[in-house]
Amino acid sequence: MNTRALDRELKRGSAELLILSLLDARPRHGYELSKLIHTQSGGQLTFHIDSLYPLLYRLEERGWIKGIWVEKPAERRRRFYKVTPVGRRVLAEQRKTWDAFVEAVRRVTSGKHA
Amino acid sequence: MPDPSIPANDESLRARWAREVRARLSPLALSPAREAEIVDELSDHLDDRCRELVAGGKPEDEAVRLTLAEFRSGNLLARYMAPLRQSNARPSPPPGAATEHLLTDFWQDLRYAARTFSRQPGFAAAAVLTLALGIGANSAIFSVVHGVLLESLPFKDANRLYRLRMVYPDGKAYTTLSAPDFMSVREQTRVFDQVEAYTSGVVTMLGSGDPREVRVASISGGLFDMLGMPVVFGRGFLGEENSPGRNRVAILDYGFWQRAFGGDSGALGRAISVGGLSYSIVGVLGQGVRLPADVPGARLPSEADVYLPIEYGEAYSATAAQRNSRFLGVLARARDGVRSSRIDEDLRRIALDVQSTSPQGTEGLSMNAVSARELIVGDVRKPLLVLLGAVGFILLIACANVASLMLARASARHEELTVRAALGAGRSRLLRQLLTEAIAVGLSGGAIGLALAYTGTQALVAAQPADIPRLEEIRLDRTVLLFTFAIALLASLAFGAWPALQATGPRAGGLRASGRIGGADRRTQRARAGLVVAEIALAVVLLIGAGLLLRSLVALARVAPGFVAMDAMAFRVALFGRGYDLQMVRARVHELEAALRTVPGVTAAAATTLLPMSGPGPRLTFSVEGAPPPPADVNPEIGVVSVTPDYFRTIGARLVLGRDFTDRDHDQAPAVAVINEAAVRRWFPDGNPIGKRVRMSGVREVVGVVADVLQGDPKGQTAPQLFLPNSQRPVRSVWIVFRTANTPVALAPSVRGVLQRLDANIAMSALVQLEQLHAGSIARPRFYTALLALFACIALVLAVTGVFGVMSHTVAERTREIGIRMALGAQPGDVLRQIVGRTLALALAGLVIGLVGAFAVGRVIQSQLFGVQLVDPPTLIVVGLILVSSASAASFLPARRAARLDPVTTLRHG
Repeated sequence: MNTRALDRELKRGSAELLILSLLDARPRHGYELSKLIHTQSGGQLTFHIDSLYPLLYRLEERGWIKGIWVEKPAERRRRFYKVTPVGRRVLAEQRKTWDAFVEAVRRVTSGKHA
Repeated sequence: MPDPSIPANDESLRARWAREVRARLSPLALSPAREAEIVDELSDHLDDRCRELVAGGKPEDEAVRLTLAEFRSGNLLARYMAPLRQSNARPSPPPGAATEHLLTDFWQDLRYAARTFSRQPGFAAAAVLTLALGIGANSAIFSVVHGVLLESLPFKDANRLYRLRMVYPDGKAYTTLSAPDFMSVREQTRVFDQVEAYTSGVVTMLGSGDPREVRVASISGGLFDMLGMPVVFGRGFLGEENSPGRNRVAILDYGFWQRAFGGDSGALGRAISVGGLSYSIVGVLGQGVRLPADVPGARLPSEADVYLPIEYGEAYSATAAQRNSRFLGVLARARDGVRSSRIDEDLRRIALDVQSTSPQGTEGLSMNAVSARELIVGDVRKPLLVLLGAVGFILLIACANVASLMLARASARHEELTVRAALGAGRSRLLRQLLTEAIAVGLSGGAIGLALAYTGTQALVAAQPADIPRLEEIRLDRTVLLFTFAIALLASLAFGAWPALQATGPRAGGLRASGRIGGADRRTQRARAGLVVAEIALAVVLLIGAGLLLRSLVALARVAPGFVAMDAMAFRVALFGRGYDLQMVRARVHELEAALRTVPGVTAAAATTLLPMSGPGPRLTFSVEGAPPPPADVNPEIGVVSVTPDYFRTIGARLVLGRDFTDRDHDQAPAVAVINEAAVRRWFPDGNPIGKRVRMSGVREVVGVVADVLQGDPKGQTAPQLFLPNSQRPVRSVWIVFRTANTPVALAPSVRGVLQRLDANIAMSALVQLEQLHAGSIARPRFYTALLALFACIALVLAVTGVFGVMSHTVAERTREIGIRMALGAQPGDVLRQIVGRTLALALAGLVIGLVGAFAVGRVIQSQLFGVQLVDPPTLIVVGLILVSSASAASFLPARRAARLDPVTTLRHG
């Protein structure tokens, strides 16, 4: 696996984790998600609109998140996403896997330099 | 590609975002609805990005350019979307493209509507329930109108069936013809196929266990055949059985056969004694078959237990010289295609012929015919149609309410519609979508309304209101279902079309970002205000109508009956059979009274042939001796009643002049009479009839005048009446009236016991309280008034709800404006006053229009008013007060919300 492919896979798996984590706190709309990812990663991670929304729709099709149109008086309606119970289970799993992965990488990398 | 630096307003910007996004999605097979959603969502994203850039200090055109540049930099949307399920929907027509598949569209729109409504359950529930109320009221009243007025009568050729009437010179018509006149019509008619007669009465029957009082109808041979009344057991009457001596045969009513003979087929051939004569049972009528109901107040009952052939005696001859005998109900079936005007013409011709051949006592008399339907339902038609009109108003108000909701909603959905239009949906396609939503609401309302109507009519029929004819015909059948469906559709168009046109109209075409504009859409505001005014106006018309009827009802209830209805009861006895000659009848009545007076608690008892509230009694020719003959247009007849001496005291009627009857007015004593005040007014202009001699089958002296006693409808005029001592003109079927110190019903068993001890062969029947009789006279107006008042209340509630809805929406839409004004120094009180003031302005406009409308519509109910003018200041004032106070109450909550707004918060978030 070349570096670019690994990079893509890592990013892809982590992207799902990112979205689920952010939505776990409270329902958010797409633009808010992209802003949050950008600012909270210190500008390291940026989702283009072309990849953010297909990702959201894929998660929705899997039943992990659900988008609903929310109408507030005197405001335009907006589509908010929230984590479904299934999504919450997936999130817990992924967090564990991610932690294990990070731990494994850390061990390998620190072992090399030990 | 247009130059992005062109200054753009929000609306055209959104259209640009949408166009950009849509272009990227075009390679995918998304469903139209899904595509619209994605376009919407991504446009939001671009919008946000652009605003952020502007907020960060970029000039607007620069921000737009950057946003678009960012978006275009990727161009991977379709690729990333392609693996998704939603991107591979089955091919369907693009949104808005004209399609041949109306039904598919309809189904799609319907599902879309269901989704939209499920997001706004409050709106959907309010609209559906409002409509359900309106449609339910209409279905209920329509089912009554349909059952009572429209459904065909249960007789053969019912639409060709007529009842013949005798018309007197004063224009009054009576529903009976004399036997000779009946024969004349039979022989000379050119318009009728068949002319038949019946007469009825109450007599005692022996031969099936205990003696019992039975209702007997004597009929001419062809009556059953003409009306299509089938005989199910045995045979019908034969033509020759009307001849004297051949007529001792009887046919039983099905119900009576069940009651008296336990449905025993062995009853056929048995002999029964009816009114002292023996008859042989030859047949039983079909179940539920009966004669056409009579007009209220007519002497003939609508159904009979036993049918006998009329005995065609001497009077049954077209050439009889004495034409004033044997009065009969006459029914006739017109030849096919004969109009009622021709029928009346023909009857006038026959009457003239009778006058020329037997001038004695026939001058000025004529005949006419009234259709059976008119006779049966004529006097309920108008009130029912008024009620139908009232529920029509309710439906209009409900529609106005829902239209107003729809308008509010349409302005909130403006953006969605704009996007769909931008995606290529034509106006007609959008219109269809909005109308489908309206129809979904309308039909749901119709379904719930039908349930309401069902419950309502069940309750109505169970209440058996006020002898309204044909109530048993009321049901929710196919016609009622169709009607409900039709009005639900019509209502959908009524409330859906205008908002839909407004929302998709050319002036609504541009794009704008809602929520950023301080003021609301003025046009929608004005439209909703107009709807509120219309609702209030309609409610005012109903309130005034109900108010006037209520005032009439009070006036009717206040009409002095002329007798004391409290604590008095009456029952009927029929004195027929072996041993009952007239002398015996006289003696028996006397004994009955005496025995009753011995019952503890009974304070008075007497006999009469006619109770109060039961019409003026049989009319007989009358004249005052020595007086010039009355003018031709005065009907020389008077209602005749036989009473025993204590009668007036027993019912509590006031003697105005002269004396009451006494026991000395027996059959050997000079013939005497007491007349009522109406008779004094008609026949004795000088006001003093005492001692005058009058002619009414013999000459008698007037010894007293009794105050008028209500004869039925309190609106009607009291007819002249003449009372005779029962001993001078004994009658076999009489009412015994008695007054008690307290609750008369408790005494009924002991009264029955007294009767049984006196003569076990006397049948006592029809025990009534005079109070019921009196209450019955206004039962119908009370029923109609109660219904109309109920409808007026519903109308008021709906209208007030409408006011509340519009005012709440106004406040919500003007939050920002109100905030600015308060920031500039307006006090909460000012805001409150302004909102309530605006409501009052609307309410007053509605009130004025309603008043004008009420005056115009009031003419319809004018004929039903009594003791109150069409323009009745108390009613108008009360209606005005109710309306103004409820409208202000409805606006108070929204107004208070406005007054409590915090200007700072409002401006920050508005």
